[in-house]
Amino acid sequence: MLGALFSIELLAVTLWLDDAVLIGKPGLSGVIGTWGAWMLRAVVAFAVFFLTFAWLNYRPALQIAARDAAESGVNGRFLAAHAVSILGFGVLASLLYGGLPSRPISDLVALAWLMAGLSAIACGGFALIQPSFWLRIAGNTGYLWMIAFGAVILACLTGNSSRSLWPWAAGITFRLTRLLVSPFIPDLIVNPATMVIGSRRFLVEIAPECSGLEGVGLMLAFGVTWLAFFRKQCRFPQALVLLPAGATLIFLLNSVRIAALILIGNAGAERIALGGFHSQAGWIVFNLIALGFTAAAGKVPWLANVKSQDPAAASFENPTAPWLMPFVMILAAGMVSHTLTGDFEWLYPLRFFAAVATLVFFKAVYKRRNAGFDWRIDWFGPAIGIVAFIAWIGLDRFVSPGAETMPAPLAMATPFARNAWLTFRVLSAAITVPVAEELAFRGFLYRRLLSADFESVSFKKLRRFSWVAILVSSVIFGSLHGSRWFAGAVAGALYSLVLLRRGRIGDAVAAHATTNALIAVDVLAFHHWHLW
Amino acid sequence: MRKILAIMLLGIGSGIAALATGPLPSPEIDPASVGSALALLAGTLLVIRGRRRK
Repeated sequence: MLGALFSIELLAVTLWLDDAVLIGKPGLSGVIGTWGAWMLRAVVAFAVFFLTFAWLNYRPALQIAARDAAESGVNGRFLAAHAVSILGFGVLASLLYGGLPSRPISDLVALAWLMAGLSAIACGGFALIQPSFWLRIAGNTGYLWMIAFGAVILACLTGNSSRSLWPWAAGITFRLTRLLVSPFIPDLIVNPATMVIGSRRFLVEIAPECSGLEGVGLMLAFGVTWLAFFRKQCRFPQALVLLPAGATLIFLLNSVRIAALILIGNAGAERIALGGFHSQAGWIVFNLIALGFTAAAGKVPWLANVKSQDPAAASFENPTAPWLMPFVMILAAGMVSHTLTGDFEWLYPLRFFAAVATLVFFKAVYKRRNAGFDWRIDWFGPAIGIVAFIAWIGLDRFVSPGAETMPAPLAMATPFARNAWLTFRVLSAAITVPVAEELAFRGFLYRRLLSADFESVSFKKLRRFSWVAILVSSVIFGSLHGSRWFAGAVAGALYSLVLLRRGRIGDAVAAHATTNALIAVDVLAFHHWHLW
Repeated sequence: MRKILAIMLLGIGSGIAALATGPLPSPEIDPASVGSALALLAGTLLVIRGRRRK
């Protein structure tokens, strides 16, 4: 709970304070304006580096320190000091960011503000884990804090200087795109000075941000994390070759993506090129390369610690698939339908059919009540579903208001097309999405958070309460609902409580389906289209 | 263990905050799709790694 409280505090402070106000001001205020965001990133990166590598390399020492700290409880004095510091921080921030008349006063307030911030962080940390335990963690992890500090400085310098590589990388991408497109467009328009390329019908400008380095960064982050967590399954140093290989591949495929974008636009589908394809193709490429990376790291004998075996001789089972595949298929179908449509997702029914096909495929498994698939329901699920709906609508007022009219492409469509689309949209919301999401989040993720062998956590045992599992699974569930992440997390927590009551997945599905059906009624009857 | 998770949660919150301070235009990797794209990747990897010998 304290962790959540501190996160909310930090998020509130970040959203409230805008460093741009201080940029260019003289003295310490100007330094904070210029470097404030970088300092915050450095603190976050240090925490991530330190905790990740401490967990990987010094787990026993960390576990002992955590156990001792847990026994000591929360320190009330430090918590009170944290609250006072945060209060002081807030008052000083309103003075500093509100504008101060003279430089000496401004510098003094800025210094006090920094001290209050540092005090809030330190007291918050000491409230959770007492100073002696922090010292023990530091002692047990050797020079890790220095390595983490060095890595943060290096990451900040690299991150900042990588921007200078954008124009250079964009130049390579530009030339590669030209090479790929020229066989298909004879009268290709090329302007290296403005980085504009295309045909008379469809022109694109390759901006520095489009250079391909974002994908390279994402791929390197994914690759390093994967190799660190599954290092025992990999052969080193050979496996390290996957990092430059993945980075190079994603950089080259960025040019293919832009070339495809130009060809799609030139073929007359400008809306698809600029709409769905532009936003989705980068993620499709990244996901495919990431999956290839993991396959190579785990299967290629030169890269992986695998024993040769005759795959035909062994038979396999996959207990995870019935729980996750419907949700995965909906996401994959959503990505495809987004990619192939322009400003309106006409292919939404693909998601419905993908889910139905998957549920039919696992039909026999879903009939096994002893495997956890208990579809019985009672009044409690729909009742909590109504509560979740009320919470959803109540929290919606905090989200920026959206359109209250039917999307123009849908309104202008023929009655048959419009009604068909709406039918599949409602069926998805009320049936397939609740089934798929409850199987994935409450049926699988909740139990997976309790044990690596999720099947060992029976649904009877699941009735045991775990705030951490509820919180984490609900926050992840909420994060998939965009700006309505908090409402999503609240709904997820309510569905978890429904499941915990009797340990039946059917109850959670009934609750979720009730909420979604009521939202659909609200959209169609009261024209609250922004809810979809 | 709960405290470690609490600290991790703090880290996640800090991460969100840090990202919120410096949004960059990103046409190559669309930030609006980050949730569903990473969920798809994570889900696929979990299914693949969930396969086991009978």
